[in-house]
Parts: sequence; C-alpha cells; structure tokens
Amino acid sequence: MRPLIFLLVAALLAVPVARASERHPTLNELEGEVMCPVCGTTLDQSSSPAAQQIKRVIASRIAAGDTKSQIKNQLVAEYGDAILAAPEHKGFGLLAWWLPIAGIIAAAVIVGAGAWRWSRHREPLLAGPPLDPALEARLNDELRRFDD
Amino acid sequence: MTRSARLAAQGLAVALVVGLLALLIWRVANDSNKGVSQALRDGQHPTAPAFDLSRLDGRGRIDLASLRGKKPIVLDFWASWCVPCIHESKRLEAARKQYGNRVAFIGVDTKDFSGDARSWQRKHGITYPSVHDGSGGVLTKWGGLPIPRIFFVARSGKVVGELVVEEDLPRYLRQIAAS
Repeated sequence: MRPLIFLLVAALLAVPVARASERHPTLNELEGEVMCPVCGTTLDQSSSPAAQQIKRVIASRIAAGDTKSQIKNQLVAEYGDAILAAPEHKGFGLLAWWLPIAGIIAAAVIVGAGAWRWSRHREPLLAGPPLDPALEARLNDELRRFDD
Repeated sequence: MTRSARLAAQGLAVALVVGLLALLIWRVANDSNKGVSQALRDGQHPTAPAFDLSRLDGRGRIDLASLRGKKPIVLDFWASWCVPCIHESKRLEAARKQYGNRVAFIGVDTKDFSGDARSWQRKHGITYPSVHDGSGGVLTKWGGLPIPRIFFVARSGKVVGELVVEEDLPRYLRQIAAS
C-alpha cells in the first residue's frame, strides 16, 4: 500500500512541474528534446552551425513567450517530425510510446501463463516404499547423534 | 495446447523470423536510395528525382518534373548555416547573368530555418528562386550531406554531372545549355 501512495504523490507533484515546463520552457531542456538535423544527436551534444542556428531560434522564441508546444510545432513545421528526439504523444507517435509497453505486458502474460501451466502439469514427486521400522529407528538414532 | 496447434504456432514464428530476415537482406541488396551523386560516380546519368516544394519567397511551388523537356536546370543545395555555400551560390548568381535565359537556376534550401534562409539570400544578393526542403528528404535522394551540392540537369531530365571542382561550372553550363 505504501509504495502505491508514494507513486500517487509523485504523480501529483509531477503535474505542476510539467505544466510549468510547458508554459515556461528553458533552452536547456529543449536542447535535450530537439535533434540537430545534420549530426544525428540532440542539440545539447552538438556545436555545429546548424545546431547553433536552431538554438538561437529556440532562445528567441522563449524570449518571445512561446510555450514548449508552440516552439516544437514551429520546429516540426520547418524541419519535419524527425527534428524531435522523441515522437509526440499524439496520432501515430502514440504507437511508438505504447507498443513497447504492450509488448512487455504481452510477454509477461505469456511467461506467466506458461509458468502456471508448467507448475500444474508437473509430475508429483514419487513416494518410495515405506521404510523398514528397524531401519527407520536406526536412521533416527543416527540423526539424533548428529544433532548432538 | 494440442500438438498440431503447437506445431502451427512454432511454424508461424519461424516463418515470421525468416520473412523478416529475407526482407532485411533484400533491402540491403537492393538499396535503391544510393542517391544521384553515387549514381554519377558509378558512371550513370539517372533521371532527376522529382520534387514539388514550396518556394522560400512564398510565390507558390516549384515542380521539378514540370521543367523536364523544357529547360536545362542547375540545382543548388544550400543552407544558411553552410559557410562554403555562400561562395558557390554567388558564383551561380554570376553565371545566371550569362545563362539565365537558357538555363533554370533553382536553389534547394535544406535542413534550414526558412526565415534565416530568406535573410541569407537578401544578405548575399542571391536572386534565383529557392524551395524549402526543411526535412532534407529531397537532399537525401540527391546524395545527402555535405552541402553545397550543385547538379546539372539536361533538358531531357537526365542528370549530367555534379560540381566537384571550380572548372566544372562553366563546362557543365555549356553542356546543358546546348542540350
């Protein structure tokens, strides 16, 4: 129960942070979410002229008061979807977010069902013939001596 | 699960893996996206890949295929962040004064911010029309980075050559103007 409450509180705290980030994005966070179109890395890992140009544009849009979505939309309009480091949480982009999760859940279900079936069909341990009473008494004596 | 159902599932899984493997091999073996530049290096003269893109100046679009059979073309791939592009575009601008009535000069501003691209054209006095290829999709078909890349297309639509050394410009211009 305690981990569930912890997760719930964390989720509730994350909402205002995400809203603040959407309304007042910083250049640093956007540099990690936008690709350099000529280097194959995010902007924060590139100092190429093309990356510098996009950083300047982002900085000017932030100064003009644009939201994160507005800035990203403008970049997508200029460079296409590939300019974003991660697909958007809408339309076809949703597939990229949810497909891996669905795959993990499906794999877990298959493994779980297999394990359940395996445990049900397992052969019971073979019970041997009853021990000779004299042998059993001797075994008990040996074990008792071993314990002492 | 019955034995036949299990066999069918296993067969399906194996067929899926084999199919994906075959697709990968076919894709690698028949990579048709080598680009015009590579084809020229291989001694071929491919037909210019068509594009239909918006002009940077906002005056409609340019459909490359519509020029086929009408005018030879000089195609200049550039961007405002590309320093060597300044020199090459200025050379094309100068050449346009001599060949502009016989040859179409078209710029393709690629992987660039259109606002910066327009400022760049004004700043460097580039007046031939350019289209905006923000995603670089057209550039990829012609050979990809690095830029500048300048191609010469004959009136027939076949790509005659790509500028490699400075002397290529007058040589190819004469060739396509006569085509």
